[in-house]
Amino acid sequence: MDHFVQVLALIEMSISTAVVLIWLSQTIFQFEIPLVGRMILLILLGNLCFWPLGLFMELPLAAYVRGVTGDLSIVSMLLLWSSLFPSNKCTPIAFKAGIAIIAIVFYPLALGLGMLDPYVWGYGSIGLLAGVLAFSIICSLANWNKGLWIIALAIIAWSFRWHESTNLWDYLLDPFLAGWAIFASVGAIYTKRRERVKSGYLFRAG
Amino acid sequence: MSRVIAFCFLLLAGVLGFLHIDSRPVWAPFEISATPIPDEDLTEGGSVTKVTQPNKSSVTYPQLNWLPDTGAASVHAASLIKLKDGSIRAFWFAGSREGAPDVVINSAVFDPKSEAWSAPSVVMDRVSAEKGLSRYIAKLGNPVSGRSADGRLQLFFVTVSLGGWAGSSISTISSDDEGVTWSIPHRLISSPFANISTLVKSPAIRFADGRLGLPAYHEWIGKFGEFLRIDAEGVIDKRRMSSGRNAIQPIVFPDSAEQATAYFRQTRGGLQAKQIPVSDTRNAGRTWSVVGDLEIPNPNSAITAVSLSNGTRLLVLNNLEDGRYRLVLLMSDANPSGALSQWQEVQVLENDEALPNERRREFSYPYLITGDGSDAHLVYTWDRKKIRHIYFSSAWLTQLQNGLKNKHKEDAQ
Repeated sequence: MDHFVQVLALIEMSISTAVVLIWLSQTIFQFEIPLVGRMILLILLGNLCFWPLGLFMELPLAAYVRGVTGDLSIVSMLLLWSSLFPSNKCTPIAFKAGIAIIAIVFYPLALGLGMLDPYVWGYGSIGLLAGVLAFSIICSLANWNKGLWIIALAIIAWSFRWHESTNLWDYLLDPFLAGWAIFASVGAIYTKRRERVKSGYLFRAG
Repeated sequence: MSRVIAFCFLLLAGVLGFLHIDSRPVWAPFEISATPIPDEDLTEGGSVTKVTQPNKSSVTYPQLNWLPDTGAASVHAASLIKLKDGSIRAFWFAGSREGAPDVVINSAVFDPKSEAWSAPSVVMDRVSAEKGLSRYIAKLGNPVSGRSADGRLQLFFVTVSLGGWAGSSISTISSDDEGVTWSIPHRLISSPFANISTLVKSPAIRFADGRLGLPAYHEWIGKFGEFLRIDAEGVIDKRRMSSGRNAIQPIVFPDSAEQATAYFRQTRGGLQAKQIPVSDTRNAGRTWSVVGDLEIPNPNSAITAVSLSNGTRLLVLNNLEDGRYRLVLLMSDANPSGALSQWQEVQVLENDEALPNERRREFSYPYLITGDGSDAHLVYTWDRKKIRHIYFSSAWLTQLQNGLKNKHKEDAQ
């Protein structure tokens, strides 16, 4: 079981690393690679990350990345992977804002502020599970079914202990998802304010 | 239609999640294996021996020994566990310096009959750890052992992939043959932030269902204690024992099936009291409360403690506000009534107080266990160069208890 978990984690990390590299190359070179090209690159880079290359390295490249980042949450991972596909719709700002608010409250408490530790709920709280199910239903009602699918997959992965962690939070949230959500939310607020200022609402006659 | 399918899938996930939660083991009480034994050796009535120190003619003095030399320049963080045949296995880390990539976790066995340590062996090195854990590991740290529900020996050890000790995680290996061979390591996930900043230093305690309660601590943004509930799968629950930035390395005394007291190494800054923080639980570790300080100095250095089967407790620490050049053994009354029981210094184990500052050596990271419930084995880092092992026989400890009881009687009169 342990071996399976480790191999699976390395496969996931290899794919995630490959996706990030593809996204970075597209961003840096301002060039959109066609889907077929992205898939070929994904297979090439994914294999490059997964298999031990020898040379001066004791481990596959993905293991070095994993050493630093830990395992990504299922939500992070699936959002990242889905960005490769052309049908990928932009993640709703309400979802990002929701994750940002949860992360801002969750991390300080979970990392030692006070005696209340919400991370503990992830080991087996019906309340947390119910809250997560409700959150995913809201995603669907807000016309973002992908969110529901991703969260449902995260819960199933936790039920089968897909990763090393036995804590539901680790399947739903990680610092990278939190950082992305917070930056995206702040960026959205900033853009909205600029648009409002540009529209001149402050100087409109009452 | 796609929304209906999605809702059905979510329902399936919800049912699986609920079944997963429902299958979790209930939180068990602490295992209280040590049954109080009558203090037959303790003198009562008029024939009171008014000595605190043992009588040399009747008892064996503490036996001093060293853990076997590995040739490493720096050694630290030794821990002990009793094996099924009555011998004692030690674990410690050794390398060119603390935190160096060449640090390995060593082990050796002490045979109480021959009073000798076996040759050291390497239990874990950095490369084996990273290959087993399928992730980069930069260095190894504190090893602590316990015995899992199925009777196997389990070793918990600290690994760091990035940065200093704040970036630590706990990994574990287990052994079917009392430490001769070991399984591949697996990682314990105990923190939501890339699983960093959880360390271990103190012995695990057992729950009545055989699962382990592992006192751990965070040492990053917060410096606080945590109580991890562990089974073969890994961490199945945990509870915070303190908060803020002032208490690490908890050591837990189970007082009864539901009650326990935890002492910490203080990490306070500024003018705050340099004393031992204390927390307690009254529901087998499900919730912990900070109850104040034990008024014994602690210079931000590790402490160790053990309960003997007659209820007497031993505590070894640097009773200083600054420095680690003095190490003492403290003893508390049998059957203490409260969390903050009375402690008395009964033996100075090391003391470089008379030396100038620059020549004082470090005596740190003590670790105590009892072999048969009435004796005690102590190991500690001796100037970072060696690990000292001291055996306190049951007769010697009984003499100390007698002296302590007599002192209390005199104080009461």
